[in-house]
Amino acid sequence: MSDRTTNYFVSVAEIAAKLHQATQVAQQLSLTASNARAVALRAGEKAAGFRPLTDFIDRLAEITISSSKKINQLASTLSRTSVSKVRADDAIRHFNSVYIKTKESPFISSLDAQFELCENIQRELNIKYRRQVDKLSDELAMLSAELRNAIILATLSRVEASQAGVQYQDALINVANNVEGAAGEIKGFIQYSQQMVSTL
Amino acid sequence: MKTHKLFENTSHTWLMFGRDDEKPEQIIDTNQYIVITKNNAFLMDPGGIELFSAMLSAVIKQVPADKITHIFASHQDPDIISSLGLWDQALPSATLHSPWLWESFIRHFGMHNITYDAIPDEGATLKLDGVNLEYIPAHYLHSSGNFNIYDAKAKILMSGDIGAALETVDAPLFVDSFDEHIDKMKMFHQRWMPSNKAKNDWVQRVRKLDIDMMCPQHGRIFKGDDVMRFLDWFEELEVGLVSNSN
Repeated sequence: MSDRTTNYFVSVAEIAAKLHQATQVAQQLSLTASNARAVALRAGEKAAGFRPLTDFIDRLAEITISSSKKINQLASTLSRTSVSKVRADDAIRHFNSVYIKTKESPFISSLDAQFELCENIQRELNIKYRRQVDKLSDELAMLSAELRNAIILATLSRVEASQAGVQYQDALINVANNVEGAAGEIKGFIQYSQQMVSTL
Repeated sequence: MKTHKLFENTSHTWLMFGRDDEKPEQIIDTNQYIVITKNNAFLMDPGGIELFSAMLSAVIKQVPADKITHIFASHQDPDIISSLGLWDQALPSATLHSPWLWESFIRHFGMHNITYDAIPDEGATLKLDGVNLEYIPAHYLHSSGNFNIYDAKAKILMSGDIGAALETVDAPLFVDSFDEHIDKMKMFHQRWMPSNKAKNDWVQRVRKLDIDMMCPQHGRIFKGDDVMRFLDWFEELEVGLVSNSN
């Protein structure tokens, strides 16, 4: 395990990778929604109670996809910021070492202006980095809350599926299982990311 | 890192930096050179990231940072210019002179502020406060886009990897016995230099120059008659070999 205090840019890249996976699973959820709508249509009156649920599945897929994409983008931006921050920190570290080694040089003050500029850049990057971490953390919490609805939706779907005729029951239960499975998988990625973000 | 004055007249000074006894053990020792003119300084092959602090400390003892207006990278290797990302932050107004062939590769080291001056294959001359610094083509010696620096007034050729030897950090600055020095550089040239044709072209080109000192990027400097001895030896040497037995 890498040291998160110094290798935070690696952690950020890992978060971005996890959230990319979450986006892919969210796209599967969208397929499940289309599938649910088709089955409900075919079942007609036999799945009358199920049909309104397909709208909720649709909405859940839509929110999850857009939110995952947004979070994924935030993580990518944060990853770039963190690499810039590493470079700025590195430059400052080198400058400090030069100041220590060369304090007696008559020209050492000629570095001051550039050092100050680098310090300003470092300060700005620190602020930007912190702001982006907070935003990512908020977005993850929001998506996590949204995914709680998926469990309720899956339960309701299962109940309605049991009311439908035998012919459609399996297909509708499968829809419920898919919703629950996808939501659980995304939730796993979100929880992992939240845990990683808390170390930044 | 030690500093040695190689040449000085009224218009300019040549300094060499190297023999860094504080460098990490696993990295190859490198020689860096600087030409200081009235208002400018031209820093050659400033080295890798690991050397940056030592290098900037050594340079800043000699010239103020804003006077280091030009950097030269003979080719793209990490021990030549992987410190670029840090120089870019220390000297944002500087110009980097390097082979055109390597521009899009060298930029991978991080270059957002420094200007890239792409040297054409046939070479060029840079004029700094009346001092002419010529880019002498040294392609395939060892890199496919590669230049030396020649200063006709100082009669110095900064030869990059040509003439390089693998030595310890306490090695003398100048070659004292050419024959004994051969062992230290033979494998380096045979293994790293890929083309006999390119090598002999270079020898013909350099024989026309008036050289007092030939200064490689690793190892010792050749002085006086040792320059001609090196050219004769190098012309005879077969290069592009994986080992002496081939």
